Amino acid sequence: MKQRIGLLARLITGSVWIVAGAIKLPDPAESVRAVRAYDLLPEAVVPTVGHLLPIVEVVIGVCLVLGLLTRSMGVISGMLFGLFMFGIASAWARGLEINCGCFGGGGLEEGASSKYPAEIARDLGLLLLSVWLVVWPRTRWSLDAVVFPPRAGEVSPGPGDGEDGDVEAQRQQDR
Amino acid sequence: MSKRNVNKTAERAARAAALKAEQERKEKRRRLLLIGGVVAALVFVVAAGFLVQNLRNTTGEAATPPAGVVDDYGVVVGDHAAPTTVTIYEDFQCPVCAEFEKEIGEELNAGIEAGTVKVDYRMVSFLDRASGNEYSSRALNAAAVVLDIAGVDAFKAFHDDLFANQPDEGTDGPEDDELIAAAAAAGADESEVRSAIENKVFAQWIENATEQMSVDEVNGTPTVFIDGELAGSTPQEYADAIRAGLG
Repeated sequence: MKQRIGLLARLITGSVWIVAGAIKLPDPAESVRAVRAYDLLPEAVVPTVGHLLPIVEVVIGVCLVLGLLTRSMGVISGMLFGLFMFGIASAWARGLEINCGCFGGGGLEEGASSKYPAEIARDLGLLLLSVWLVVWPRTRWSLDAVVFPPRAGEVSPGPGDGEDGDVEAQRQQDR
Repeated sequence: MSKRNVNKTAERAARAAALKAEQERKEKRRRLLLIGGVVAALVFVVAAGFLVQNLRNTTGEAATPPAGVVDDYGVVVGDHAAPTTVTIYEDFQCPVCAEFEKEIGEELNAGIEAGTVKVDYRMVSFLDRASGNEYSSRALNAAAVVLDIAGVDAFKAFHDDLFANQPDEGTDGPEDDELIAAAAAAGADESEVRSAIENKVFAQWIENATEQMSVDEVNGTPTVFIDGELAGSTPQEYADAIRAGLG
């Protein structure tokens, strides 16, 4: 059961990342402006973040959908959603009326602040799904199960059931 | 069981344990190498993508502004000595801008003619994604060409005409031929503007103007300043503030 929920969590968070990143990729100048609009980062790093974010989003999304390095990707995904929530909440608190730029854009939104609560709620949901994957990284139909097969002697729940052995590998990596 | 047999069994068990430990070491090594390889590949993809995005962003490259702009990106309409300056950031594809123009445009024009106010238009383009055929940037390029070739009055007529006939978001806006016809109607010579409109000669200037808006902490259109002071946040507030200023 947990493996099925994990699969769902992977597919949801992963596809959101892919869509969010892919929409931003065609217009790098726009994603730089979207980052700048939050007025949180020094101008020296704004273009770097603006150019880096969309590609990182797509890579995280693809890894999550495939189930590759699930736990690590869950950690990065959760941290990013946390940062985005902080950014939106901070814009809201400072009375900024900006398009969140979550899925491209970055121009004025009439009554942008009225959208902030829904955007924060959405990111919270995605953050929780990411956390699920950090706690239970073994999921159904994951690439981890293929690339990092279970050790000899470990019980495998059978073909296609996504025993991934990723947990031990991740622990070593996290050290 | 003889002593010899006991020894043999123990030896065999030790050998088996050593073999298992060796296998586990190998397995561990294999996993670490694999993880390292996957991480390295991901880092490579991100780095390559980052580089490509950097190269594709031409913002800030040298651009020739159209003749007649003030302060690189401003188009000042009206008597430069007018006591009040209204600065307006607009995108030709922005529906709220069209609404704002409809609300206050005529009164503003009367103020310009009376010499009580001048308008510093800061035209930008970030709404190509809301158009089927990049109307936002093509319209602004055409307006810049009209300014460059036929001057401020023709620009103003062209500007008002485009906002009065704004295409809906998500649809195809007027094609270049229609923009050229509109430019001619605004007072520009058709043969002079055609190639500059078709070749989008002010594309880089438009990129830079839009970036400058962001650097100036203006994050949307329309945004209106009266004598440098932000004049509200909705078209209605802007219009009311301008009326008070025209007073």
